[in-house]
Amino acid sequence: MTLTLQTQPPAYVLVEGLRESASVSTVRRAAPDGWAREELLLRKLGPKGWGRVYHFRNYYASGWGENGRVLSPKALDAFFRFVENANFPAGKSSPSVFLTDRGGIELCWEDRNGKSVQVEFSATGAEFYQAATDEEGMVTFNDLARLSQHLAA
Amino acid sequence: MPGLLFAQIREKYPEQKTLPVAQLPEEIRRQDPTLVILPLMQFLGENFIVQLGPRVINLVTKPNMYPGWPAIEQELKWLLERIKASGFVGETERLGARYIDFFGGDVFSGLRLGLQINDKPIQGTQTDITTFLRKDALSIRLQVTNGAIVATKEGPKTGSVLDIDAWFGPLDVDLFGNGLARFAEAHYATKGLFFGLLKPELLSKLNPAYE
Repeated sequence: MTLTLQTQPPAYVLVEGLRESASVSTVRRAAPDGWAREELLLRKLGPKGWGRVYHFRNYYASGWGENGRVLSPKALDAFFRFVENANFPAGKSSPSVFLTDRGGIELCWEDRNGKSVQVEFSATGAEFYQAATDEEGMVTFNDLARLSQHLAA
Repeated sequence: MPGLLFAQIREKYPEQKTLPVAQLPEEIRRQDPTLVILPLMQFLGENFIVQLGPRVINLVTKPNMYPGWPAIEQELKWLLERIKASGFVGETERLGARYIDFFGGDVFSGLRLGLQINDKPIQGTQTDITTFLRKDALSIRLQVTNGAIVATKEGPKTGSVLDIDAWFGPLDVDLFGNGLARFAEAHYATKGLFFGLLKPELLSKLNPAYE
């Protein structure tokens, strides 16, 4: 079999000059690391969780409700880092995701015994509550991986 | 917001220009992830352009007038002070440096990068490569194409584009804290990748002048 490559029209066109800033803006695409994050959400939170985060990022980025603040980029990034390290118990329903009034994002799930676990990510860190031990606290962004291990234990 | 910034930078950027995307209704811009990050207006200075949008500020060099990193760094330092004084920036979502270089002809023959089918390099046909790299906290998007058209004052030119965009995410940067140092890191990573991709034959053709 012979594979023939057809000549195609140019895919990368800068209309008004290479460094004309307006043109440079038009060639921007979504961040390429976006794919890895989409895959992560689908794998760990399921289609429903993935869909909710998609909506939060794209439709609520400028604020929501009467007093809902703009979704914090730091909170969202912290959420992704936590989910990357988290192990949610198998056989339970997928974790739920919510926006918070103060511009954060909250993750809730059930542990192996059906007890509730909640983590709220904000612009300054993450607050957690574990119903099984009635433990609550706050961690910095540097401790997100440790928190996910702690809550999975 | 434009007024707050303009008041701080007007001495060096006296001219304003609205960009075409500003004509789109705000609701449409907000809901499209590719539009929401675009600048809506420009402030034109002698050597640079400052661009502003609801979620972005760019410092851009003028076409074919790359002044070198020391000059860019000096301007960035000045601009950061002015942005801080304007008082409208909250969290930093992304901080990056992007270099777009145009080459006449097919650049792939001069690069240590290419596409193969059945272990044979694809040559003489339009090829577009986009990949994503990580270097510690730095994210880098590398985009190369030999199917670019650029409209210049002398008319349209065909050739290749090597486009490197390097950035830090929200948890790794504080614009008014480590912002300048992060810009420098992004610049040097971009520079290293650029020169690492070029074969010596192509590099010698470009007649580089080293600082």
